Amino acid sequence: MVTITIDGTEVQVPAGELLIKAAEDSGTYIPRFCWHRRMNPVGMCRMCLVEVEGPRGIMLTPSCTMPVNDGMVVHTKSPTVEKAQEGVLEFLLLNHPLDCPVCDKGGECPLQDQTLSHGPGESRMVEEKRHYEKPIPISDLVLLDRERCILCARCVRFSEEISGDPLIEFMDRGNAAEVNTFPDEPFASYFSGNTVQICPVGALTASAYRFRARPWDLREVASVNPLTTTGDGVTVQASQNEVLRFLGVDNDATNHGWLDDRSRFGFEWIASPDRLATPLAKSGDGHTEVSWGEALGAAAENLSAVIEAHGPGAVAAIGGARGTNEDAYALASFMRSSVGSPNLDARLDDGLGTHLLSSLAGKGEIGDLETARTVLVWAADLKEEHPVLYLRVRRAAQELGATLITVHPTATGLADRATHTVTYRPGEGHDLLDRLRAGSGDLADVRAALDEGPVVAIVGRTGLAEDPALAEAVTAFARDLPQASVLPVVRRANTYGAIDMGVAPDLLPGRVAAGGDAGHTGWEKADTSVGLDTRGILEAAADGRVKALLLVGADPLRDVPDADLAARALDAVDVVISIDCFLTDSTAKADIVLPALGFTEKEGTVTNLEGRVMKVNRIVSGPGQARADWSIIDDLAARMGRPLGFESAEAISLAIAEHAPAYGGITWFLLDWKERDGVVAPRDGVEQPLQYIPTTSLRAVGSGGAKRGGFALHLGRLLYDDAVLTRQGASIADLAPGAYAVLNPTDADRIGANGHVEVDGHRLPLRRDASLAEGTVAVPFNQPDGPPLGGSSHVDVAPGAGA
Amino acid sequence: MSWSEESLQRADDILARYPEKRSAVMPLLYVAMREDGYLTDDGMRQVAELTGVTPAQVQSTASFYNMYKREPVGKYLVSMCTSISCFLMGADDVLHAIEDEAGIPAGEADDEIGVEHAECIGACGGAPACLVNYELIEGLTPDKAKELVAWLRSAKPDVINADEMQALFGGKTSFDWGIREERGAVGPFPAFGPFGTADVNTDALEPGRST
Ligand code: SF4
Ligand code: FES
Ligand code: FES
Repeated sequence: MVTITIDGTEVQVPAGELLIKAAEDSGTYIPRFCWHRRMNPVGMCRMCLVEVEGPRGIMLTPSCTMPVNDGMVVHTKSPTVEKAQEGVLEFLLLNHPLDCPVCDKGGECPLQDQTLSHGPGESRMVEEKRHYEKPIPISDLVLLDRERCILCARCVRFSEEISGDPLIEFMDRGNAAEVNTFPDEPFASYFSGNTVQICPVGALTASAYRFRARPWDLREVASVNPLTTTGDGVTVQASQNEVLRFLGVDNDATNHGWLDDRSRFGFEWIASPDRLATPLAKSGDGHTEVSWGEALGAAAENLSAVIEAHGPGAVAAIGGARGTNEDAYALASFMRSSVGSPNLDARLDDGLGTHLLSSLAGKGEIGDLETARTVLVWAADLKEEHPVLYLRVRRAAQELGATLITVHPTATGLADRATHTVTYRPGEGHDLLDRLRAGSGDLADVRAALDEGPVVAIVGRTGLAEDPALAEAVTAFARDLPQASVLPVVRRANTYGAIDMGVAPDLLPGRVAAGGDAGHTGWEKADTSVGLDTRGILEAAADGRVKALLLVGADPLRDVPDADLAARALDAVDVVISIDCFLTDSTAKADIVLPALGFTEKEGTVTNLEGRVMKVNRIVSGPGQARADWSIIDDLAARMGRPLGFESAEAISLAIAEHAPAYGGITWFLLDWKERDGVVAPRDGVEQPLQYIPTTSLRAVGSGGAKRGGFALHLGRLLYDDAVLTRQGASIADLAPGAYAVLNPTDADRIGANGHVEVDGHRLPLRRDASLAEGTVAVPFNQPDGPPLGGSSHVDVAPGAGA
Repeated sequence: MSWSEESLQRADDILARYPEKRSAVMPLLYVAMREDGYLTDDGMRQVAELTGVTPAQVQSTASFYNMYKREPVGKYLVSMCTSISCFLMGADDVLHAIEDEAGIPAGEADDEIGVEHAECIGACGGAPACLVNYELIEGLTPDKAKELVAWLRSAKPDVINADEMQALFGGKTSFDWGIREERGAVGPFPAFGPFGTADVNTDALEPGRST
């Protein structure tokens, strides 16, 4: 710490900190346009000029490029500074169109605000301003108005420093300087929306929000991104009971203010006209609208009949990861205690072991990346599945100098920053791990890098055709690396929270292993044994052992890799009851459909991939008669004569704090008033009952799929796919690229493929990628019109007819 | 890849000089200009591909410097200085004379001749001055400038040489002790010997061509 004097007051600030930041953190706000807390300074706009006393006298200095020194004396409000600020603003306004009445930024515009507080108030400009065509679309989601741009380079720097796709740049110079893209090369970044948020004027606007509202008409609540598992801080803004905008909030622990475009613009599903607003009951081929009383009565009757005839184990539940922890706790209580069945799972056969996800001993945090020396990513392509985590890893490698190692069937989005890009054929991961552990051959360098701690390892399934046991083995290996911190990752929204709440075949609420002592649960009678996971449930349903399926925000026909199995299961069961926001492929087959409230329509908590519990809030009321999952479940339980007695989501949260050991002491009050960035469960001083330590010997948990053909299948996800929440968001619905097949050029030439290939008989456009391991075919999962390949780990590939 | 073998070879040689590929963007832009006659979108795309940066970044660099031409500029580019010294010495009249004779407004070009404004070209002592293919002529008058343009159109010189043009069309010079340069600019311009984008030494003026 050093002591500096700002406007006559001495303050203690960290040595070497930039003056603008040190001043702000100690209470003096210096105006700025180009400087941004999460990017490197450029000193381009001159708005942050202050006077600094130095050996050569007192000088006007940009505070965003000046590090503090002990004894520095700074004036931020002197007449000279004020004159400089007026001058800078007058220059910036020379060419600014001042079309504020029709500008989205009007009312929340730093240029407007700082002109009010520091500007000259009057212009001497009588000449014509420069004119450009306005606005021009620079991507599917973003428009650019060059007249408004003040050339601060925030967007340019973001795309280069943060997201690593510099498609937006300064063109020309002097008076002709403008921001633009290359002809025919749009700003097609997964992160483009962030530039709209950080642009200090209305030069970059989002097509989803243009002319939808004035900022002063918006109400807002703090919440958490519902589409990822990183727990990104968001502000949800709404007007007239409709959500209009998501903004990223700078949560130091998670997203640093950034959001991917799917998360930022994907909220449009909330107000989709296709939202379910009334309970439905099957009639003929379709459904008819019924009252809640009829729907719940029928559901209760059906479930009771199945329990009576086949025992409680014949009832199973899939889903629950799309709701809050309170919803999940209600579901777990309902299944285990009201129904008495241990067959429930929030994962859709696309996850990892629940013990690994929830209870890994010594699990890491995202923030560990800030101090990592080596980062190992052996998981799905983070850019596609965990966009914010991808940004944090990029930052570790690019700005903080960590050695980055990626292990994946192909080079990933991180390839340009990776020191080592290791690829392997799916199915050969265990052998690769053995070689890596031994550091043999060409892996000697990689192994040596892994001996440099602290190591952060991000571990997951690289693709859906991969055996989830591999991740257990990789975790076991990574845990032993020096100062290791391991993060097991899966993509589906609140999977971690749902599992922690016991929506899992082998866990009880609060990270307690099923099958053991269940005294803590407070349930009077319950089945606390180990039940079936999603795959087991579907298999049991397909061969008649499970008779009733409860789908909770789950669309197995789309989401489960083995779509065939899901279809057979749904056809075979006697009763399907679905709690959902949309009539999906799967809910369309349900006997009873119960309309659920979605995110932004209810209050509760969620848990991110670190185990960080965070509060989500309500801002709109939801469509028609839709109700929260917990309340639907509570009502259903009561009608079956096995009431749960939950009165409100908050009451459930208190039950969680009491009965879910790892969540002890985590209350809404704490999250609302004290720990607004969330708290990692368990809190200090609270013991977590299960401390899971994976072993390398585990080799056959869950599915890997059948071996059917000669090519190993890599089934990865892309950011934009055909999942219901993406499809229902108008702005992003068309961004999914559609299905294709990728081959290594050597393989493509060997089989003589050109243009198209047939993968297990499905004709797909061919792409070539030399980084893909030979003998592998990569196909993105769940694309519009994509082939159902998830049932196998190996497929046949033949040249496409008419190529 | 749309470039000729020769250009790709040239690009390889240039890339080999730099530890960071992106450092080669600027010299490679000259290769692109030589390839297409000016800087095309395809040329910039090619440079981006060779250096591992995005086309937008290449264009950003290219558009910052005005000797990277993104439009065709003809075989002879006349760059008339209109900065302060030349302006005071009548540059505007000279420029208008050039435009009239060439039939081309500043900023445009036909197949043969391009005309443009230039900022100070460092010949203030011999103002007003202009460049033809970056070869200097000082002490111009409107009449002499017309003759210069007419000569370019009729003589169609392969080699552009400053001393020759100065002798034919120039007037007062900044200094008179410069070394006589027998060689001149040929082919695509601007071009640099070290990058292999100029043909040097091969095109000395035939004796007696200049007066
Ligand atoms: S578009 Fe906005 S963020 Fe980008 S340079 Fe212009 S003012 Fe700055
Ligand atoms: S904020 Fe310091 S120069 Fe822009
Ligand atoms: S002003 Fe024309 S050469 Fe300097």
